[in-house]
Amino acid sequence: MPLPSVLMLCLLGIGIAMFRRSPQAFLDRPSSDVPTVLLNWAVGLLSDEHAEWGQAMLGELGYIEGRIRRWRFAAGCVIAALLLPPWGRAAAGVWAIIAVAAGSVGLYASLAIRFGLDGGDWVNWAWAAIAAGALAGFVLGSSALLRRPGAAIPGLLAGLILAVVSLAMTGFTFYEVIGTITTFQQNLIVRIGVPFAVGAVGTLWRRDAAVGRRIARLAAVSSGLVLYLYSTLAVTVLGAGGPPDNPGLTGGGIVSDRLGNNLIDLLLGTLLAATVGWAGAAFAGRLRPGPSIPAASSNPQQEA
Amino acid sequence: MQRNRPPSAQSIRVLRALAADPAQWRYGYDLATEVHLKSGSLYPILVRLADRGLLETSWEPGVDSRPPRHLYRLTSAGREFVAALPAARADRTVAHPHSRWSEA
Repeated sequence: MPLPSVLMLCLLGIGIAMFRRSPQAFLDRPSSDVPTVLLNWAVGLLSDEHAEWGQAMLGELGYIEGRIRRWRFAAGCVIAALLLPPWGRAAAGVWAIIAVAAGSVGLYASLAIRFGLDGGDWVNWAWAAIAAGALAGFVLGSSALLRRPGAAIPGLLAGLILAVVSLAMTGFTFYEVIGTITTFQQNLIVRIGVPFAVGAVGTLWRRDAAVGRRIARLAAVSSGLVLYLYSTLAVTVLGAGGPPDNPGLTGGGIVSDRLGNNLIDLLLGTLLAATVGWAGAAFAGRLRPGPSIPAASSNPQQEA
Repeated sequence: MQRNRPPSAQSIRVLRALAADPAQWRYGYDLATEVHLKSGSLYPILVRLADRGLLETSWEPGVDSRPPRHLYRLTSAGREFVAALPAARADRTVAHPHSRWSEA
C-alpha cells in the first residue's frame, strides 16, 4: 500500500474517531488549554489510592497564571503521575518494552559504528534522532497504556500475536524482512485483518470499547517495537548483503537505507495497526455496548 | 511492607518549610516555589510524607469556577519528626536557589 494512502487513511480514521467521541469539541475550539488536557490524561494513569493526588495537581493548576508557569507545572506533574508507584504487574511489561527498545538502540548503534554512519552526513544524524525520539515515544506511550486497568496482559499478548503473524508472513527469515516482499493478501491480513480482530476481540473480552481501544493501541505499539527489533537484527546480520538493493549505493548507504525503511515501517505500520484496531474496537462496541467508565469525581472533597 | 528510608535532602526541605508555621495549611505551588522544587519532585515527596503519616491534607472549596485546592500541613508526628532531625542533617538542606526550571 503506498505510504501517502496509509497516512491519509490513518488521519481520516483518527479524525472520524475524534469527531465521534465529541462532535462539539471537535468542531469548536478546545475548552481547556494544553497543560490541563495533558495533566487530565496523566492523572488518569494514577492508581485508585493516588487518584486524590491527581485531583490535587489539577486543582493547583487551576490557580496558576501564565502560560510558561502552567506548562512547567503541568509537565512536572505529568512526569510525576507517570512514575508514581505502585505499578503492580505493569512494571514487568514496561521493563520488557524497555528491553526491546534498548536492544534496537544497541543494534542501531553497532551498525552505525560498523558502517561508519556517523561520517558527517546530517541525514544519518537526522534518522538516528527520529529513531531515538520514536522509540522513546513508544516506550512512554506503552508504559502509559500498561497502567490502564485491563489493558496490559491482553495488549501485550495481542502485540505478540500481531508480531508473530507478521513474521510468519515472511517465513521468519531475515531476507524477507529486508526485502519486504509481501503480497496484497498478506498485507490485508497483517495490516487490516489481525489489528481489526485485536480491537474487536479486546472489546468483546473486556466488554468495554474504551479498554478494547487501549488493547489495540498497546498491541500496535508493542508489536511495532518487536518487529523493529527483528528488522534491525536482520540488517545487523545481513549488513549490506541480502536481497539486491540500489546497486549505486555503497555498503553504508545500503545499511542506512534499510534502517530508514525499518523506521518508516515502525511509524506507519504502528499508526495503521492502531487505527484499524481502534475501528475494530468501535465496531465491536456497537455489537455489544459495554458499561460506561465512571467519570472522575468533580468534587474531590467528597472523596477525601 | 513499607520501608521507612531516611528522608532525602529535598524531603527535608519540604518538611522544614511546612514546620516553619505548622498550624498553617499550605498550597502545593507555593510550597514548590518556596523550596525551589519542580512539581514533578514535590508531589511524589508529598505523597510519601502523607503515606508515612507525617503530612495531613485537606481540600479548600473552589473559588468561582476554579477547582477545589489541596492543602497540606504537618501532623503531630510530622512535627516531632522534624524536631528530631539532626542539626547536621538540617544544615545540608539549605536551599540552593538555582535555575529557572525550579520555579515549577
